[in-house]
Amino acid sequence: MSSINKNILRGVILLIYIVIMALVIYGIAAIFSYLNTGADRSTMLHTEIKQVDQYLPEFNWEPLNNEGRPMDQQTLKAIEDDYLDAWYVKYISYKTNTKTGIEDYYTKSARLNIFNIIDQNTTSQTTIEGTSLAHNPNLEFFSEDGQMVVITDKDVIEYKRIYKGDKFITEINEISTYKVTLLLEDGFWRIRHLVKSKSDFYYPKSSDNTFLVNNIKGINYYPKDTPWDIYGKNFDAFVISKDFEIIKNAGLNSVRLFVPYEDFGKSNVKIDKLKRLSKVLDIAESKNLKVLVTLFDFYGDYSVLDWTLNQKHVKIIINHIKNHKALMGWDIKNEPNLDFESRGKGLVQAWLDKMIDLVKFNDPNHPITIGWSNKENANLLADKLDFISFHYYEDLEKLSDSYTSLKSKIKDKPIVITEFGMSSYDGIWNPTGNSEKDQANYHKAIQDIFTANKIQFMSWTLYDFEKIPKEVVGRLPWRQNVQKHFGFIDKNGAKKASYKYISSSK
Amino acid sequence: MTLKHIYISVIAVVIIALTTLQNDKSKETYSLKTEVAPVFAGDVIILEFSSNSNNMVQLYCSNSYGSVLLSPDIENKVLKFHIPESIAKKSGVLNWQLITATNPLEGKIIVKPKPSIKTIESYLGPPSIEAGGTDYTMLVVIPTDDLDNPLADSTKVQVKHQFLDNQANDLIFTKNGFAYKNIYSYQPSGRILISSESLGLSSKEYDVNVMPAIPTDFSIEAQRIHDYADSNQITTFETSILKDRFNNVISDGTFVNFYITDKNGNKTVTSGASINGIAKSKILHPDHEDQWTVKAYIEGMANSDSITLDYKQAVSDFEVAFSEGNRIINVGPLQSFMNQKIPDGLVVKLKVYTNDNIIDELSQESYNGYVKFKLNEDRFSATKYNFVIETAGITKSYNNITYE
Repeated sequence: MSSINKNILRGVILLIYIVIMALVIYGIAAIFSYLNTGADRSTMLHTEIKQVDQYLPEFNWEPLNNEGRPMDQQTLKAIEDDYLDAWYVKYISYKTNTKTGIEDYYTKSARLNIFNIIDQNTTSQTTIEGTSLAHNPNLEFFSEDGQMVVITDKDVIEYKRIYKGDKFITEINEISTYKVTLLLEDGFWRIRHLVKSKSDFYYPKSSDNTFLVNNIKGINYYPKDTPWDIYGKNFDAFVISKDFEIIKNAGLNSVRLFVPYEDFGKSNVKIDKLKRLSKVLDIAESKNLKVLVTLFDFYGDYSVLDWTLNQKHVKIIINHIKNHKALMGWDIKNEPNLDFESRGKGLVQAWLDKMIDLVKFNDPNHPITIGWSNKENANLLADKLDFISFHYYEDLEKLSDSYTSLKSKIKDKPIVITEFGMSSYDGIWNPTGNSEKDQANYHKAIQDIFTANKIQFMSWTLYDFEKIPKEVVGRLPWRQNVQKHFGFIDKNGAKKASYKYISSSK
Repeated sequence: MTLKHIYISVIAVVIIALTTLQNDKSKETYSLKTEVAPVFAGDVIILEFSSNSNNMVQLYCSNSYGSVLLSPDIENKVLKFHIPESIAKKSGVLNWQLITATNPLEGKIIVKPKPSIKTIESYLGPPSIEAGGTDYTMLVVIPTDDLDNPLADSTKVQVKHQFLDNQANDLIFTKNGFAYKNIYSYQPSGRILISSESLGLSSKEYDVNVMPAIPTDFSIEAQRIHDYADSNQITTFETSILKDRFNNVISDGTFVNFYITDKNGNKTVTSGASINGIAKSKILHPDHEDQWTVKAYIEGMANSDSITLDYKQAVSDFEVAFSEGNRIINVGPLQSFMNQKIPDGLVVKLKVYTNDNIIDELSQESYNGYVKFKLNEDRFSATKYNFVIETAGITKSYNNITYE
């Protein structure tokens, strides 16, 4: 007996020894391979400098008709790049009150003007977060020796947020015309003279279009097997087509879709994703469903210097699908008010404000909304939106009153609840949760309220999901599991009790 | 800045009638007390607002380069904002906005560049141009005031230039802050001196070289001591004076290639760079009778006619002596056209065959009229050899020489 015990002990010690040795060897190997990673030889000559998109305002050269030497496209591109970089480093300098990078893009005497302002702002503890959103340069002149250009940059739209210390003071919108003289020095096109020849404050208009947004009976849609990843590798038009058929037959008339910002490639929108988005719209059209497209899902930066990239992203998406017959409207961003705390309410609102203008500018023909996460924030920016939407996961008893009070505040715009629902999860992570029966009762009740108050709605969501990406609700199982069970149809494809109440009875 | 200027600056900030103050206590109100006419860069700019409160408000202010936030001096419900000099000294539109919760006031001040000049920024290029009147150089001038603002548009600039006996004076006017003038070359080559003047201030002197245009076709000639193919003397090729179509001697250093084609069609090239319009190049005489056809090219631009040169045979014959078991072969004396010993350095070739297979080729230069080949036992074992000796275009064969 004792010899068996001894052998077990020996075995265990031996095993521990092997594991320790394996770990030590692995550690040494990791250190060794780390020390062996040097700089890639191809980077030695800086031949391959990767251009990172960091500043992409609207930039449209007027047709070339300049005096002096004829311009070629390559030089024009070099001028454009350096000129935009000059704006970019300037805004970074004013944001941080540091002088880094300025000397690359402004000549010796021109940079003094910027340094003076930085000094002034440092003394008065002022910081300015700004960006330019549009440039319309006209090349006036290119010198014969190719060392100097003069540009008139018309209707430059600038946006600035002024802070004193940490305190936000004001925001400024300006539209200006600049006369710019650039010299080619050390391979950089540097600004030599900058004269603002025209400038006005401007205030973007509020929405005066009225759109008919009525009778929305919809649902938020993700396919059962690829939630939060419709447009990825597992894109399956057949599955979506079948699902849209189900939605149609359930008596619904619209779906709410999401366009994830990073997944679509940020400013450099991926064409295959765009094609898949169009395909989904095509399917919706064939099933006679309208689509509310939510832009900027999974975006959380909002910083002013990122706006030009957002602008480019949104422009490409909108121009790709704005003429699609299935398009119902634009939801600028899903639940942006959740970022109020971390990013600042003012900044997020300013960003939304700018994006509304942008979407409106690119597509004046479809209504715009913001999918607020609660009714309390739903009156923000109301005068700029074409219809108001918010999400409701609270107590059903209060819904009727909440809606009526919001309606009394915002009289002239339609209000839609674009997310609501109940999870039917009462498993091990949440034993006190709701059952499928509770879920059915909830939907029955809420549909009655909708009918009574003539509320337009889009529910969450068609399916129970098997896997939820960690970006949605994190990794915690009690959150994940709740999120998995909001569907009207379970993960095996069987209709749950709530399915009966997916839509109002006529 | 003169006293007068300061005076004008202060006048520029004209204070007009006080607007009636509202006594509504609940609401702060502000109104602009001063009306600001366009000012010159560097002028003192003070914005005054009357208010019904002594509350601190701030003024946003932006010029061509950036924006600042200003705090007022408050005195008796009058807010005074001094626009800092670093902002006021740049020309362009100066935007301001009074940041109040109730009624934001805003406006703009046109800051004009000063009417006086401090520097003329000039850029001239390209620095050399081609003669003939089609090529030109461009002078770009940016007249600026002492605060580095480009002067107002339509500022008059005189551009002067001198070339040989010509002196010209052109008037141009600035637009978008600058003015430019194309100065065309003349037919002769030389140097154009350029300067400019604006509002009484003269620039420094600039110069542009007018380089000759591309050369036209030319002729060549050859010079040599004698016409024997002695492989010792040198033939010199020389071009005529190379000129462009306006009769300017082309630039020194123009590269000329002389292509030599011999009787058999083989080509040799020699080259030279021009000095004072003439390019020279030298080449050694051939070692055997030949006829050369020579033609010169300035690549891609011009070429000469071709000339023909004949070389006469210098060495008419030579003797060959075998000794020490035929292992030493003495060639010579090699005699030139006057039976003098040929100058050192004539190449003699010895080809060694067994049967018809060449097994070695030896080559030596003559010394004192003789060439001596030693054929080593280790290399050339005992057998029968055939020898062929070549020099100065003459070939001699010795067959069935036996080594032991």
